[in-house]
Amino acid sequence: MAELTANQIPAAAHDDHGHMSEGEHNNNMKLGVWLYLASEIVIFSIMIVGYIIFRINNEEIVAQAHEQLGVALVTANTFVLLASSFFMVMGLRAMQGGNRAGMLRWIGLTALGGIVFLGGQYIEYSELAHLGIVLGFDTASEWSTFGMRFYAPTFFHGAHVFVGVLWALEVMRRGAKGRYDKNPIGIEMFGLYWHFVDVVWIMLFTLIYLV
Amino acid sequence: MAEAMNHEGEHHSNTVHLLRREITVEGGVYTVVFGGLAVLTVIEVLSAEFLKGAIHDAPDAAAALQAIKAILLLGIAIIKSSLVIWFYMHLKSENKLIAVVILLPLLIAGLSIMYLLAIPPSGYGL
Repeated sequence: MAELTANQIPAAAHDDHGHMSEGEHNNNMKLGVWLYLASEIVIFSIMIVGYIIFRINNEEIVAQAHEQLGVALVTANTFVLLASSFFMVMGLRAMQGGNRAGMLRWIGLTALGGIVFLGGQYIEYSELAHLGIVLGFDTASEWSTFGMRFYAPTFFHGAHVFVGVLWALEVMRRGAKGRYDKNPIGIEMFGLYWHFVDVVWIMLFTLIYLV
Repeated sequence: MAEAMNHEGEHHSNTVHLLRREITVEGGVYTVVFGGLAVLTVIEVLSAEFLKGAIHDAPDAAAALQAIKAILLLGIAIIKSSLVIWFYMHLKSENKLIAVVILLPLLIAGLSIMYLLAIPPSGYGL
């Protein structure tokens, strides 16, 4: 197992048949993921700015919502997601060190973190629904407009976590077959996605629950 | 925040230079960054709760305290995000093109947010 990470492999020229080297292939794959994440930034930004504008113009409703929401559950959920990001990068580190079993263990913990996060989000949504904060269009309800601004970014993020959990399980399945023994780029691509989901949550947690 | 021993060993070394001290911990720089993220999150939540109480107790200074709260918390969030991107997503050691790819949409999103925030709630009344 080479000790160099993909980005440290010198980008060699094409061979005589025009085929890319492994290093060049890895760099292209990573650039593709970064470009995808750049598009995601724009989508999440639209939802975040929608919430910020609503927040500025409806301070009282948001203050009441903060009282209802509380921070205990969502803070615990935030720690779970931060920990899962740590597990993810440790999984990549293990595979780069040739430790397949370690990689499977760390990525398994990453997936578990995602599942726990989604469970916490389900509990939070259930509690909010009981309080009348729903994704509705009842103009008579003061919560109606808040619900839209709140659920759109948080649910969209939750959907990304769900996709991430599925991706983690697929990485584990492929990893168990030795797919990443020679080149762990597949794990690194998943890692970029998972860390991005973590970064988005760091911003949502601050903007929606704390500010 | 944390400086790895050297570029090549960053991902695998368990030794990290932090605040001019040499720390050896399982996971190296990744563990140190996770510790930093956890501490910053605790500071963030405690600050938010403290300032919420202060705003409630001093309505006259609510606007100023709210502004301080927003700037402080967003600053911490940006530091946390940067730590994840820099160390966990390895932007630190990536090609500079990647930084451009990620910074360009952030810049456009930032400018768009500034523009949208400048629009009054009632619109321009055209």
